[in-house]
Amino acid sequence: MDPTREILEVLYREAELLDEGRYREWLALTTEDVVYQVPVRLTRERPPEGGYGGVSPSMYHLDEDRTSLEMRVARLETGFAWAEDPPSRLRHFVSNVRVGLPQETARGTEVEVRSNLLLFRSRWDRPEFTLLSAERRDLWRRQEDGWRLARRLVILDHSTLPTHNLSFFL
Amino acid sequence: MAKGKTATGAKEVPRALQELAQGLEEGLVPAGILNDPEVFAWEQERIFARSWIYLGHASEIPSPGDYVLRYILNNAFILVRGEDGRVRALLDMCRHRGMRVCRAEAGNASHFRCPFHGWTYRNDGTLVGVPAEREAFGEGFRKEEWGLLPIPRLEEVDGLLFGNLDPEAPSLEEWLGGAKWYLELVTKRSPEGLEVLGPPQRFVVPTDWKLALETFISDSYHTLMTHRSMIELGIAPRDAKYAMYGEQIHIPGKGHGAMVVGGPPGAKLPPFWGYPAEMMERAQASYPTREQWEVAKETRIFLLTLFPNFSLHNPIRKPDHLYPTPVPMLTFRVWHPLGPGRIEVISWGMVEKDAPEWFKEKARHSYLRFFGSSGTFEQDDTEIWSHVAQNAGSTLGRRLRFNYQMGRNVPQDPNWPGPGVAYPINFTDENLRNFYRRYLELMLG
Repeated sequence: MDPTREILEVLYREAELLDEGRYREWLALTTEDVVYQVPVRLTRERPPEGGYGGVSPSMYHLDEDRTSLEMRVARLETGFAWAEDPPSRLRHFVSNVRVGLPQETARGTEVEVRSNLLLFRSRWDRPEFTLLSAERRDLWRRQEDGWRLARRLVILDHSTLPTHNLSFFL
Repeated sequence: MAKGKTATGAKEVPRALQELAQGLEEGLVPAGILNDPEVFAWEQERIFARSWIYLGHASEIPSPGDYVLRYILNNAFILVRGEDGRVRALLDMCRHRGMRVCRAEAGNASHFRCPFHGWTYRNDGTLVGVPAEREAFGEGFRKEEWGLLPIPRLEEVDGLLFGNLDPEAPSLEEWLGGAKWYLELVTKRSPEGLEVLGPPQRFVVPTDWKLALETFISDSYHTLMTHRSMIELGIAPRDAKYAMYGEQIHIPGKGHGAMVVGGPPGAKLPPFWGYPAEMMERAQASYPTREQWEVAKETRIFLLTLFPNFSLHNPIRKPDHLYPTPVPMLTFRVWHPLGPGRIEVISWGMVEKDAPEWFKEKARHSYLRFFGSSGTFEQDDTEIWSHVAQNAGSTLGRRLRFNYQMGRNVPQDPNWPGPGVAYPINFTDENLRNFYRRYLELMLG
């Protein structure tokens, strides 16, 4: 099958799991050695070489491995995770998907994938909502039972976050 | 700002403040002080325009030309290290027409050139270039009179840089008083001191700055319920009385407060927050006094809040729930007021400069996974603070008085070796009552 079609399907499937709060199933979409990072972004002068400026190489909003993601998911399952219980209404709008050429590596077939994300969040019974915008730079790996997320770098289009916490995944 | 000259000086004291003054010693605090435009207007002039406000850490700008952008209220300052090695805080406002001369949050620059008309300032604030100076401004124009405005006061303690808008404010040392002893429990653990783990996280929370601060100055009591999810995961202790152990200390007349928590009786926790042996040995030799070492070696959780809006939190922790050994974390934060019932949290991860590299990496994870924007503890705090502030601003809610009576009958600890007034238990609101005494002194004085 065309890898682009397969990747699109897995990205939409992933968004569906995150929007429906099926975090345990989402966790199963990640590899054992997954690295999931959301760096702090700062307003900096335009880099002469172009590209994104101000992406901190040292500080993050989230810097996770499989164990810490597992901890965050287990927390949401306790029934006492007030930040997401009642849950936020989330919608992951995934667009501008760019799929690289699949590469054979020592770990298997891997492909770099970039996508744009617009995340809608509303909470409580109030009419206000939050939008978070970002580019996601992923590495997906083909395992026996399908594509798995091995790496994600979320480049936020925000310096100061317009929301009171990041109690969900991007 | 001199007394009586402020815009609020002539106005009647807001009702919520009158109620606070009447009820505080009984432990009654009006909800109205937490989300009220009039109270916030008073706070801006009477608290934030004349208090020492944390701007940043020297390690954020180690080299000449390094700068970061920081705020006191809505005043933007370039916190910059000059070519002479001195740190300055310069108002980010061109003297010509008020444009920002620095719009990046961090960087390195020898000069700041205003994008409006091109006035150019050296990184010590001196105006050095004015386009068409002679033709446009003539002979009598004196550049030396038009440098960037330095903050009225800037002082440093152990690498921590504080600014003050009031030129007549007491010295930082006098402001801190006995709190310095507690600050040194983290700043003097090694001769090298602390460094930032990176730039701060910044995020906006619809709550009052005092509500956030409460949690860090006195509230061990909330751990059991707010952070119940982490208890379920075995990360926070299940013992309902856990948070009552330890000492709560306040500095009378200053508003500062600390919590120093050891291991509960029978708990098998390593000494000195669980820091590696080499760091513990360094600390023993490095602390200014023997008493600080004696206190530190028994400490597992430590919080300090400096009046009005700086807090630090230094608990024994692990990088995740399965990690086998403790790797404590340290965070500095400013509860930056944006408006009534609205703050920006500015949250830094900190570590000892001479800690081993593996430790710095793990300490960063210990911080990120529990505190800050995505922290599994702090995300529940911000949820709860948001609702309390909303309720405090409601028509009926604002008439209520909150209960700040916990621990009113607890006798002081006469044997505590540190400065200030200590209570041998953390189930008390005494640090908060002391905080609000100082708050009232400034608001009404």
